[in-house]
Amino acid sequence: MTSTDTTTSTSTTVPADIAQWLAGRVASYLDTDAATIDLDLPLAEYGLDSVYALSLCGDIEDTLGLVVEPTLAWDYPTVNAMAEFLQAEIA
Amino acid sequence: MTRLEERFGDPYNADNPFGHRTILDADERSTVAEGAEAVLDEFGLNAEFVPEALGGRLVEVDELVRRLRPVFRRDASLGLGYGVTSLMAGLNVWLGGSDVQRKWLADLLLGGGKASVGYHELDRGNDLTNNEFAATRTEDGLVLDGRKEVINNAARADAAVLFARTGGKGGGRDHSLLLVDLHQLDGGTFRRLPRYRTLGLRGVGLSGFEFTGCAVPDSALVGDLGQGSDIALRSFQVSRCVMAGTGLGILDAGLFGVLRFALERRLYGQTVAELPHARATLAGAYADLLTADALVTTATRALHVLPATASAYAAATKLLVPTLLEEAMNALSVVLGARFYLREGDYAGFGKHMRDLPPLGIGHAGGISCQLTLLPQLSRLLRALGDPAPAAVFTAGAALPELDLSRLRLFAPSGDPLLAELAAHGTHPGIAAALAKLTADVAALPARDTGVAASPAALDLTDRYAALLAAASVTGYARHNAVPDGWAELALSRLAERLTPSAALPATHPAAEGALFADLLDRATTGSGFCLDRDPVHRTLAQ
Amino acid sequence: MRYGAFAEAERLEGVLGDPGDPASVFSTAACADLDDADGFPTDVCAVLDGFDLARLYVPAEFGGGLVDYQDAVQTMRMVSRRDVTVAVAHGKTYLGAVSAWVGASREQAEKVGALVRSGLPISWALTEQAHGSDLLAGGVTATRTGSGYRLDGEKWLINNATRGGAVCVLARTDEAGGPRGFSVFMVEKAKLDPATHSPVPKQRTHGIRGADISGISFSGATIGADDLIGREGTGLESVLKGLQLTRTLCCALSLGAGDHALGIATRFAAGRRLYGRGLTELPAARHRLATAFADHLLAEAVSVVGSRSIQALTGEMSVVAAVVKYLVPTRTEGMIASLRKLVGARSLLRDVLEDGAFGKVERDHRIVSLFDGNTLVNLNGLVNLFPILLRTADNATAPDTDGIRAAATVTEPLAPMQHKRLSLLPRKGSSFLLALPAAVAEVEALAADDDALAPLATAARALRTALDGVYAAVRELPAVPVNVPTTSFVVAQRLAACLGGAALLQLWLRTRADALAETGPSTPLWRDGVWPTLALDRLLASVGTPTPAPQAHYDTAYDVLTAQVGSGRLTSLFDHRLAEATR
Ligand SMILES: Cc1cc2nc3c(=O)[nH]c(=O)nc-3n(C[C@H](O)[C@H](O)[C@H](O)COP(=O)(O)OP(=O)(O)OC[C@H]3O[C@@H](n4cnc5c(N)ncnc54)[C@H](O)[C@@H]3O)c2cc1C
Ligand SMILES: Cc1cc2nc3c(=O)[nH]c(=O)nc-3n(C[C@H](O)[C@H](O)[C@H](O)COP(=O)(O)OP(=O)(O)OC[C@H]3O[C@@H](n4cnc5c(N)ncnc54)[C@H](O)[C@@H]3O)c2cc1C
Repeated sequence: MTSTDTTTSTSTTVPADIAQWLAGRVASYLDTDAATIDLDLPLAEYGLDSVYALSLCGDIEDTLGLVVEPTLAWDYPTVNAMAEFLQAEIA
Repeated sequence: MTRLEERFGDPYNADNPFGHRTILDADERSTVAEGAEAVLDEFGLNAEFVPEALGGRLVEVDELVRRLRPVFRRDASLGLGYGVTSLMAGLNVWLGGSDVQRKWLADLLLGGGKASVGYHELDRGNDLTNNEFAATRTEDGLVLDGRKEVINNAARADAAVLFARTGGKGGGRDHSLLLVDLHQLDGGTFRRLPRYRTLGLRGVGLSGFEFTGCAVPDSALVGDLGQGSDIALRSFQVSRCVMAGTGLGILDAGLFGVLRFALERRLYGQTVAELPHARATLAGAYADLLTADALVTTATRALHVLPATASAYAAATKLLVPTLLEEAMNALSVVLGARFYLREGDYAGFGKHMRDLPPLGIGHAGGISCQLTLLPQLSRLLRALGDPAPAAVFTAGAALPELDLSRLRLFAPSGDPLLAELAAHGTHPGIAAALAKLTADVAALPARDTGVAASPAALDLTDRYAALLAAASVTGYARHNAVPDGWAELALSRLAERLTPSAALPATHPAAEGALFADLLDRATTGSGFCLDRDPVHRTLAQ
Repeated sequence: MRYGAFAEAERLEGVLGDPGDPASVFSTAACADLDDADGFPTDVCAVLDGFDLARLYVPAEFGGGLVDYQDAVQTMRMVSRRDVTVAVAHGKTYLGAVSAWVGASREQAEKVGALVRSGLPISWALTEQAHGSDLLAGGVTATRTGSGYRLDGEKWLINNATRGGAVCVLARTDEAGGPRGFSVFMVEKAKLDPATHSPVPKQRTHGIRGADISGISFSGATIGADDLIGREGTGLESVLKGLQLTRTLCCALSLGAGDHALGIATRFAAGRRLYGRGLTELPAARHRLATAFADHLLAEAVSVVGSRSIQALTGEMSVVAAVVKYLVPTRTEGMIASLRKLVGARSLLRDVLEDGAFGKVERDHRIVSLFDGNTLVNLNGLVNLFPILLRTADNATAPDTDGIRAAATVTEPLAPMQHKRLSLLPRKGSSFLLALPAAVAEVEALAADDDALAPLATAARALRTALDGVYAAVRELPAVPVNVPTTSFVVAQRLAACLGGAALLQLWLRTRADALAETGPSTPLWRDGVWPTLALDRLLASVGTPTPAPQAHYDTAYDVLTAQVGSGRLTSLFDHRLAEATR
């Protein structure tokens, strides 16, 4: 359901800790600090609207060079779950 | 609490015989709530339309507007249908009638009778000068021929004031006003026309009169022959202000309804009222309601204090206030969502109010006739600003000189005292710039562009003038009275945006908006109305 | 010019006859009587069934006659121009079925297609008493049983819920909810135990009074596993994708309502004498009509390009649909309100002017901005897309120029619809926005050779500046997902205006040569960039950068409007004869 194809982009550098990077993105959408994001709490608990969460796929595409389904955040609703999935895709 | 507010009770109480439920049911049957007119009879609402000198309670016009508010908060059809048109008819007689006529009509109204006012004919609309209804002079009186259409209460009125053609020269002396006792007319030459079905204001009985060689005595003439336009245009100045003021009650009620919904309805894990957009819409509608009230209050008080310029103020008020109110109701309807579309349920009253507001604006001089009243006066009004208006125009409760209708003029003298107030005490740079721009544009306006064939650009000047008068009213009112925190700031900023479109994003006023929303909430929970006078009201938020 | 998408519409007009003829089933008079009585337009719907209108609700690949979404829009517009109530009452079945087109297996979609073709009205049941826009708050549950599911709970304010034969229900399949916690089911009433469902009474409404706006309550209704559309947990996704189509197609309702209101006002003005002259001789009255027509052409252009985009730029529909659904209904509301001031007292009277149709169309049309995603939901949808739109603009993502050409060249046939291409996000941004600078350059190049195009070039440049302003504003906005600040909504309105403007410029650029090659009543609109200049004037005024079109353009529009209305043609960029056409 989720990943379609993987392209490695030359212009992007993959962050070492994908979970931390994702937490940073989520925090920026929520206009708060990355430190306040619990990596195992569903994003919805932070009030991240499910439709809004779709936007994360754009960040992922830009930064990780990975084309993912917009619904990624629905299928992997926590930062850690998403990071784990992405790690596997990159590997 | 006023007696009417008390008697009509909480509209949200399902057991209230004058609650939304009953009013809406009556509306479905094209009538008004049973017993509601009896309440107005018992209160003697007609006395509000009759000057004190003639035994009534009409002293100050701004007070009259406030006294009508509880009625229009419930049901515009009740207010209009019961008889604001009796006032319109009466004004002509108070101004131009003989002592006998004045006493006769005053007694008729004080006794609970109704008067219609027949200016219009469907085919002629606002073009009163080309009306066809005619009164022809004969040896022993006048003979009436023609129709008056879309006339409130024509089916049941006891008396009527009629605008009739009495000359054919072309010009302002071709028409006269007549006061007729409808019960004295010959049934063979006079009939009342069937009721019009209406899509809004459904409870109002609009019909008409038809005259075919109907004789009336000379004594029916109000004033002299040929004085009709003169008298009518001066009494319009009062009635236009009053009609604009009736709409305030509608927005007051609509705003309460939507606030009630927003506090109750939950989505995305919070109430609608917590959504910034909904909150801003509520605060904005509240600001506009107060602005509209400031303009109505200023214009009605100006009838007493500044009668010479009242023709411009009345026209500007009738032009801008219905528009402001309609736009605010529209914005609120978006917050109410699906419920504004339903004719049942707790919030059905809102949809009815919203439906009834625009025709109230059309009835008795639509926007264009107000624009055409203003346009030729602008260059004089703006030529030199003169002295600012006296404080009595703005100060709530300050004593007013007696209303003297004979001091109303058809054409304002030069120097606009309200705009002078704005020039002297205005603080908003955008408003000041708009005033300077209007002054320049009006100076450049060719006189030939100020008649019925005026260009859209010329008519636009009248809209801007009206918005600036509103800004002047807000400024003056806020200087002389205690007003809700944040209102003047938000109100002027909204008027500035209306006056001058800008590519910059609208300025945000979080503190002003927050303060205003808090005040709105406070009034809603403590039973105060949302107009400037903070009158006590009967209505409850959801539990 | 003539436009092929009107072929079906013309056939339908032939069947329906002149709406001014009180003897015809679908007359203005009959609709007004039904409206008074809150009566459902049963006979009119039967005529539409006789025409097999529902064939246009089913994509060709699933056994229907829907090849071009354009044809469906223009045909439905003919229904709506007579009575929005009927369009809503009948057209609703497309909404009921759409989840199947976007989310079901082929076999299932074909089954739903057959249901629709059989004439069965199908409802789309998303809303509940306590929950509207917040789809994930829904309380109706579908609980798995051995062989299928049991449905419990109530859906309310559902069009055709009582009269319809099937209901497409969004239900909670995971107690915990969430974006994967909902699924869509096609519930055929005939297959249910009658004891397990009951109708919730019709709600009386201010507009579309005859429509069956009611509800349905389920208690332990059992449905089969094969009634689930797609897989469990895909409900939100298929609804959001379906909404991309339905929100775009709603423009047909607005266009029809606008046609109706403009026609009434134009006829009224033509016959009215005031101050010793015709009302239309008064400059302000003419201007009001011409301005309304400009608004209508704007709505039409955005609708045509928007609905052609369904097939031409399928992956971008999340942004296009939000723009169309915000812009077209709200502009049309404003236009009708402005015309009301011209029609005056007659807008209130039931029996004086064209059976009170003006007041009715204004009331009826108000539903369009309200349902199927209201104004704020659509603007909020655009706010959600700000990051991706900004990013694609910043890194100069290439627009899909083939897609734009297909969407904006009305003489070109559209490629078949591929529902699978619908996406919840416009991954590559919005081609119309990305291509705006090139489009402006193209207009400027044309204007360099033709002075008559100077006003259009000015307007086009102003549009580009406005879009730059939007991007700058987006950069400054805080990202707050739920409690979206009010300013973001203003920026979203401006973004919508820019996208609408970009789309309509493309329509003029790609279609003008063909339009000018033919002569007809609408031709003057296409010359000298008249209509796009007027439409941009209207749009730019709404974003705070007034760029007035020349008076001569307004005069041209006024002449075309009166010629079209006077000869019984549609008020349109295109030449289309209505049933009442006189020549
Ligand atoms: C609820 C209600 C109650 C009423 N009660 C009464 C009553 O009791 N007594 C009574 O006498 N009348 C009454 N009327 C009648 C009413 O006041 C008139 O019908 C109305 O003011 C004017 O008529 P009209 O709307 O047909 O406008 P018209 O004057 O026919 O004008 C039609 C339109 O033409 C346009 N227009 C006119 N002049 C110009 C111009 N110079 N330039 C550009 N455009 C122009 C305007 O936009 C206007 O709306 C009532 C009306 C209503 C709605
Ligand atoms: C005549 C009619 C027919 C209908 N037919 C159907 C049908 O067939 N099927 C169906 O499922 N539904 C139908 N509906 C329901 C319709 O789609 C609802 O109006 C919609 O679901 C929104 O719900 P709501 O209006 O109750 O408002 P809510 O969603 O409860 O919202 C309340 C208010 O909050 C504000 N708001 C909402 N979202 C946002 C946001 N994101 N940002 C800022 N503010 C926001 C809005 O101002 C809104 O009005 C119908 C409604 C009507 C009136």
